[in-house]
Amino acid sequence: MTKLFTTTALLAALSLPAYAVEVAEGDTLAENQTYTYWLLDAIKSLDPAKNTDVEGSDVLRSLFEGLMNEDAAGNMIPGVAESHEISEDQLTYTFTLRDANWSNGDPVTAGDFVYAWQRVVNPETASEYAWYIELMNIENATQIIAGDATPDQLGVRAIDDKTLEVKLTTPTPYFLNTLSHATTYPVPQAVVEEHGDAWTQPANLVGNGAFTLASHNLGVDIVLNKNPEYWDADNVVMETVRGVTVNDNNVALTRYQAGELDRVQIPAGQFPRLKEEFPEQAVSVPYGCSYAYVMNVSDKGPEALKDVRVRQALALGLNREVIVDQVLQGGQEPSYSWTHWAINGFAAPEGGMKDMPMPERQEKAKELLAEAGYGPDNPLKLSLQYNTDDSHRLLAIAAQQFWRPLGIEIELNNVEWKVHTDRLQSQDFELARYAWCADYNEASTFLDWFRTDGYNSGKWSNEEYDQLLAEARTAEDTTPLYQRAEEILAEEAPAVFVYHYAKVDMINPAIKGLPRENLLNTWYAKDLYRAAE
Amino acid sequence: MVIDQHKMQSLSDRMVEHEVKGRSPWADARKRFLRNKAAMLGLTILVLVAIFAAIGGQFAQWSNEELDFAVMGQVAQAGQPSIASGHYFGTDNLGRDLYARVVQGTQVSLMVGVVGAAIAVIVGTLYGATAGYVGGRTDQLMMRTVDILMSIPYMFVLILLLVMFGRSMSMLFLGIGLISWLDMSRIVRGQTLSLKNREFIEAARATGVPGWKIIIRHIVPNLLGVVAVYATLLVPLMILTESFISFLGLGVQEPLTSWGALISEGAGTMNYGTLWQLAFPLFFFVVTLFGFFFVGDGLRDALDPKDR
Amino acid sequence: MIAFVLRRLAVAIPTLLLLIVFSFALMHLAPGGPFTAERALPPQVLANLEAKYGLNDPLWKQIWNYLYGIVVHFDFGPSFVYPDRTVNQLIAAGFPVTLTYGALSFVAAVVVGVSLGAVAAIRQNSWVDYLAVGISIGAQVLPNFVMAPLLVLVLTLWYGLLPGGGWSFSDPSFWIMPVIALATSYMASIARITRSAMLEVLGSNHIRTARAKGMPEHRVILRHALKPALLPVISYLGPVFVSMITGSVVIDIYFSTGGIGKAFVDSALNRDYAVMMGVTILVGSLTILFNLIVDVLYAWIDPKIRY
Repeated sequence: MTKLFTTTALLAALSLPAYAVEVAEGDTLAENQTYTYWLLDAIKSLDPAKNTDVEGSDVLRSLFEGLMNEDAAGNMIPGVAESHEISEDQLTYTFTLRDANWSNGDPVTAGDFVYAWQRVVNPETASEYAWYIELMNIENATQIIAGDATPDQLGVRAIDDKTLEVKLTTPTPYFLNTLSHATTYPVPQAVVEEHGDAWTQPANLVGNGAFTLASHNLGVDIVLNKNPEYWDADNVVMETVRGVTVNDNNVALTRYQAGELDRVQIPAGQFPRLKEEFPEQAVSVPYGCSYAYVMNVSDKGPEALKDVRVRQALALGLNREVIVDQVLQGGQEPSYSWTHWAINGFAAPEGGMKDMPMPERQEKAKELLAEAGYGPDNPLKLSLQYNTDDSHRLLAIAAQQFWRPLGIEIELNNVEWKVHTDRLQSQDFELARYAWCADYNEASTFLDWFRTDGYNSGKWSNEEYDQLLAEARTAEDTTPLYQRAEEILAEEAPAVFVYHYAKVDMINPAIKGLPRENLLNTWYAKDLYRAAE
Repeated sequence: MVIDQHKMQSLSDRMVEHEVKGRSPWADARKRFLRNKAAMLGLTILVLVAIFAAIGGQFAQWSNEELDFAVMGQVAQAGQPSIASGHYFGTDNLGRDLYARVVQGTQVSLMVGVVGAAIAVIVGTLYGATAGYVGGRTDQLMMRTVDILMSIPYMFVLILLLVMFGRSMSMLFLGIGLISWLDMSRIVRGQTLSLKNREFIEAARATGVPGWKIIIRHIVPNLLGVVAVYATLLVPLMILTESFISFLGLGVQEPLTSWGALISEGAGTMNYGTLWQLAFPLFFFVVTLFGFFFVGDGLRDALDPKDR
Repeated sequence: MIAFVLRRLAVAIPTLLLLIVFSFALMHLAPGGPFTAERALPPQVLANLEAKYGLNDPLWKQIWNYLYGIVVHFDFGPSFVYPDRTVNQLIAAGFPVTLTYGALSFVAAVVVGVSLGAVAAIRQNSWVDYLAVGISIGAQVLPNFVMAPLLVLVLTLWYGLLPGGGWSFSDPSFWIMPVIALATSYMASIARITRSAMLEVLGSNHIRTARAKGMPEHRVILRHALKPALLPVISYLGPVFVSMITGSVVIDIYFSTGGIGKAFVDSALNRDYAVMMGVTILVGSLTILFNLIVDVLYAWIDPKIRY
């Protein structure tokens, strides 16, 4: 954690210039500066306080701008905040804002941030992301959400139009990293109050980002145009950005091939073929999510899963290499740790089952099961729950087949997403597929999940583990702590870790500036340009 | 793809007419049916498909859930239909034997079709016969209820039911069956009204046979022609409904499958060089639906010839 | 006749009420709610959300408030999943789209289907007949979730003739594929029904009489044969209408048209109660209205029917 902190502190001292489009040598710009990308579904909300999904955040990053932005590698760079100072006790942050305007010409002030953040925690807004302000540890956030304090008591204050002061309850090394998130974007008070919930509609929306909203047809498309009022508009090349909804991934790929889209996800299993056919276009980069089968070890869970030998056997028996190389086939990595392998500064512990050949693992798994009293004569019966999705289905079927020779009979239980989530959260499952995506590029974003008071749907609990993560918050060197934590996860097997995601896309080679090293795939339309063919 | 109610009404009138004249419609009908080439072709198809569903599994080299690791990951090249590899119909995207899966999908789809149609026909017949036989205000009330239910968008309700109770075979049977009994009940009621004042019913009533027994013993058997035709034509509708439900991802649980699920998977990958994944299930789906239509139409034409 | 229409309209109100109460109950019984999310919400935030949308009231009160809003303000409430929009706005955006391609498909299915069926019957056993029968048999059973991606593949990728999806009210090139995908199987069914009804009518006595009187063939067909042959087609239109609404789900999914079919499925899966109710009420009302129109039409064509 401290490492993270030092990089950002350094950054503040140097006050680097803002990142801008750099047209690569040899590239000439195309006449038509548009970028059309694929959306699986409609964007649910364009209100920074109410948005909850990744696709919404992608659009909000273009329509609004927060205190901080990210560069192509995911490092923090100044956004609306030109510079900042941190107090001795690390509890007070003071930001100096640059001269920037809203798209209607009004200046962006510190008050806009104060209003926006108070609005997120205000119970009347009922924001699903109110917890994010709590995560930032801003003073009184928790009390306000609970209704025990009024929104104006939030620890954020406009000293003058260009100076914003934030007070935290506890030193929070990752605080600056939270500031590029859509929930923290400023909103124009006058517009919000004038139009109410309808303020995000194309005719009404006023933003401070590099683009403005031209149109938004739910389930069809969303179109953004360059914003001439943006403070760095001179360095924005892209004129129009269009997100097109196609509910069927296969049809979306067809439309990409017909030239209607510049970027689309590759359906499971199609990457090798497309890579061979279109080596320039098929791209696979690591993506900060981790896939697992979580085991329910709570009181409501099956007896068998409380036995660590059974959990170990399940973890040993799953052939991740086959899943990754022969089912997903998109450059994903088999996983033996919960934390994504590409996470900044993380190194998975050495040894363990990763180094055992598959037959040996299977032998070991059989032994463990026999010790626990199960085997082909007395098969262990478990149900595996997954939500409706083609690749979850394929993986669950494969898993079932891998575990069968060990004497584990898996009953597949496919339910739709809301039921799946509801059952996970009420411990009404035996084995369930789960995936977690990093909120920020540091191992604790994954490891916190298994803390006793983390999201932890299987209700696994380990004192040493909790202790390690608590220590890591302030430790100089977190690597040994995180490694030990992963070792505990490997020993205790509260879940079967399956694979680490990759983002597998077809990308039009003419589109330049899409980040390939950003684990969270945070991209800004203002950094893109289209090169002439 | 909906049953031609007009013709069903005509058939129903015809059956009553026969009944009134005291002549069995069945003797002539059989001859006419056997002469109908399309119907005979349909019947042959159905018999073959039924045999395929019943014993096709015996010839499979693989089970419907086994993964062929030699094929997995290179389905387009190694998973083609081949006698040598034992995958007569090729494999699905995961390397599972498509032949075994089509056999098993055929079983599920036929079962959903037949059971769904049976539920619809039984409920519709009993409801219609009761309303018609009891008559008076009960009849009024029951038929108004049918009017009301007619206006409900069923597919929506079915989706809600599956979302709410989770997917299961029995829910599918019930949900699909409950969609289509309404038309049936109307026709049956009409026919019952014309039957109920006939002498043999009056006689039964006079000897004190209870109402429900009269309905089951005397009214229902006389509705057999309509019921048979209706049931035959309902089966393909049920199969179509199930395929739509499977397309939405609300169908049967893996590793079980159905034609709808297989077709929807195959349709997704049709441009990826694995066309057999669509072709085989679609072929069985299409020929079976034809089979039922031909047989249903033939049966109806045989019972209600237009050359009178 | 007027009495009949009024009586049917009177039945419509309890029907809709039943539908509302039933769907409402079913929806709330289903596991999970609109705010069940991957990251379990802190209880306080959840409580705030539920308070805002009135979800902590007893069920009867929620239904009452809902009905009150509709009857008094024609307000179908806010969407839970699309917080920027109300249900009225969502339906106002999606319904015209569904209506446009639905109506076009309907007209196309009826016009093409009846023409095809009539021509086939008049030229019975000619190549036209065989072609028409062949087409209609094949088209009738091809699921539209196979047809839709096939159309995109052929017409967009291979031949580059049409946009692969999206919607515009001003550009008919966006309408063509949805209409083909939605109309084809109904067109085929209508052609079959028309053909067999037409054959029956053409063989009947009054046509023979008309012909015997030396009436020109086209007049025989247009004035005497077509009208009675349309009766079975008309009784088929009610169900066609209902199942086209169902079919619009597939259209919205494959062609990104943004209609209400997909909106309904999504709302049921997302537990977006208000949107789901709104769409159900809309579709229910339309079904009632349409069945009524079909019955009136039927009575108008066939004077034997009395109500």
